[in-house]
Amino acid sequence: MKKEDLLARLRQNTRQQYDMPRMDDLQGITYADTYRQFVDMTKSVGGKVVEARKTDDLSRLIRNLYPDATTFATNLPYLAFAQRNPDTVEAAQQLDGTDVGIVEGSVGVAENGCIWVPQTMKEKAVCFISEYLVIILDRQNIVDNMHQAYRRVSFDPRYNFGTFISGPSKTADIEQSLVMGAQAARGVTVIVVAD
Amino acid sequence: MSTEHSRRAHDILKDARKVAHHDATFWGLRQGHDKMAQQLPEWESLRDHASAIKRHVVTHLADYLEQFSNQLEGRGVIAHWAKDAQEANEMVYGILESHKVTKLVKSKSMLTEEIGLNDFLMRRGIDVVETDLGERILQLMHRKPAHIVVPAVHITKEEVAQCFEEHGISHEHGNCDPTYLTYCARLSLRKEFLQAGAGLTGCNFGVASTGDIVVCTNEGNADMTTSMPKLHIVTMGIEKLVPDYESLAVFQRLLCRCGTGQPTTTYTSHFRQARPGAEMHVVLVDNGRSEMLANPDHWETLKCIRCGACMNTCPVYRRSTGASYTYFIPGPIGVNLGMLRDPRVYSDNVSACSLCMSCNCVCPAKVNPGSQIYLWRQMLDSIGKADKMKKVMSRGMSVLFDNQRLYAAALNVAPLANIVPDALTRSAKLNPWGIGHAKPEFAKQTFHKWWKKNNKRGGLK
Repeated sequence: MKKEDLLARLRQNTRQQYDMPRMDDLQGITYADTYRQFVDMTKSVGGKVVEARKTDDLSRLIRNLYPDATTFATNLPYLAFAQRNPDTVEAAQQLDGTDVGIVEGSVGVAENGCIWVPQTMKEKAVCFISEYLVIILDRQNIVDNMHQAYRRVSFDPRYNFGTFISGPSKTADIEQSLVMGAQAARGVTVIVVAD
Repeated sequence: MSTEHSRRAHDILKDARKVAHHDATFWGLRQGHDKMAQQLPEWESLRDHASAIKRHVVTHLADYLEQFSNQLEGRGVIAHWAKDAQEANEMVYGILESHKVTKLVKSKSMLTEEIGLNDFLMRRGIDVVETDLGERILQLMHRKPAHIVVPAVHITKEEVAQCFEEHGISHEHGNCDPTYLTYCARLSLRKEFLQAGAGLTGCNFGVASTGDIVVCTNEGNADMTTSMPKLHIVTMGIEKLVPDYESLAVFQRLLCRCGTGQPTTTYTSHFRQARPGAEMHVVLVDNGRSEMLANPDHWETLKCIRCGACMNTCPVYRRSTGASYTYFIPGPIGVNLGMLRDPRVYSDNVSACSLCMSCNCVCPAKVNPGSQIYLWRQMLDSIGKADKMKKVMSRGMSVLFDNQRLYAAALNVAPLANIVPDALTRSAKLNPWGIGHAKPEFAKQTFHKWWKKNNKRGGLK
């Protein structure tokens, strides 16, 4: 079918047109302690929160969090200990078997534990294929609700992909039993970095 | 019993324990919805905005589709326009064939169920692998989804275990622990993700102003589906658009809270272009939607965001299960979508409603499925689908209620019905209406007589 034919038919079949509603009267929830709400929500969706300072050695922190892990993957230049780099692997498949993937999030959302992770690496597979995911988030970038969050999301123009992640991959498809670690990360640790 | 839905429900209800479990499961989801709603002071405002935004989009659909496809094409995404199921299926197959793809991984998409894509591709030799755990279980068992959000809710863990053993996915005989089985599926699907030549996803929301394809999952399977293969195909209904991010926030906040009682899905992924070295195609499917728009009573069904809340709350769905409906989407919204698809084929489902309107109260986009079912029932006679016995009864009742003397006379003799044995009033042959309906006991004295005797001027004695 030609696009023009469909559009013409839609215009013809539209009976009465309705205006876009006012949006400025929609007030999203805010919290007295936004950070506390974000931490509680992250835990309730199955994630962990670890607090760090900007001066901390994140490489050591992460290795201590996952003492049994052998394969780390990231393209963050300040985490030089990682054996795999999603920018330089030839194919996404080569990231299979990664124990811990490490990425940066740019916006955290208190109402639901979502963190905006824009693709800033060649292979976004690192965000999903790794057994465990670490997301590094600046404490200043935590907002109350999704309305605020969507005003702040941005994309790396090279990749134009981004995802909100709230806790580990999960499913309740077998008799409604909640199981963490369906197809993507089996656990998520959010490292909240403050001054 | 008059309809296919009630016949199937009758059989299903023989297993009372299973039905009680089904009922409790979905009531649990409904309670989850309530908890979420109560935590947000702006809940009703969100619903009002969601409804108004969708009403606006659906009545400006051509403009938004133009904007959306321009955005997509601006980043090298290839847009395709499919009139119906056949065209959509051929387009997807054509894209796969031109890339010589033999294995396709896909995430959950109700649209692909609607158009029968999997069968179409498999008949042409493509290995189609569902990657949502529930859908994968159903695919391996050759069963149909019983719900749009939790499709395998009717399968027991023992059945899953047996199925996984038969397919070599589980190697521990008799182990039906959900955590173990989920892990087995993870390992098995991992291989499929790594080997597939293409990944196909649905689309929860298309953002017109930016060209984002937004896909929401808890498992991350849509992301795995699109992270390895060099080809990403999106199939989406043309009604899936929202104008911009400001509106998207409203729907993102409502979708999962309404559907499963979670504050969000784990992943809300935004696809704007193909990943490096890959190709991205979006197949926009009409398949009757442009016709629905012209239906004066039912065009607002197009506002539906497929959250499943109307099924979870529906007392008929909860007690008759997805398997008793004849359209592939069950519950209140499925009754409506079936009637829009073909009222002659799917009219059996309109009886699956007690008109309690609970669905109207939970629907995030205010589609009002219950009110629409009422309207569909009013047109059954015009397509020759009205129940003959009910027609006779209705005619009888209008004679009775229109004639005051006849009505009074009938009431005087009504208590005689009290001495008719139950075996007669509940005989399927003599009175099918009596099945499942208790016979009321008629009072010995009519209300009229009682009133005349007791109500002297100035009120009751």
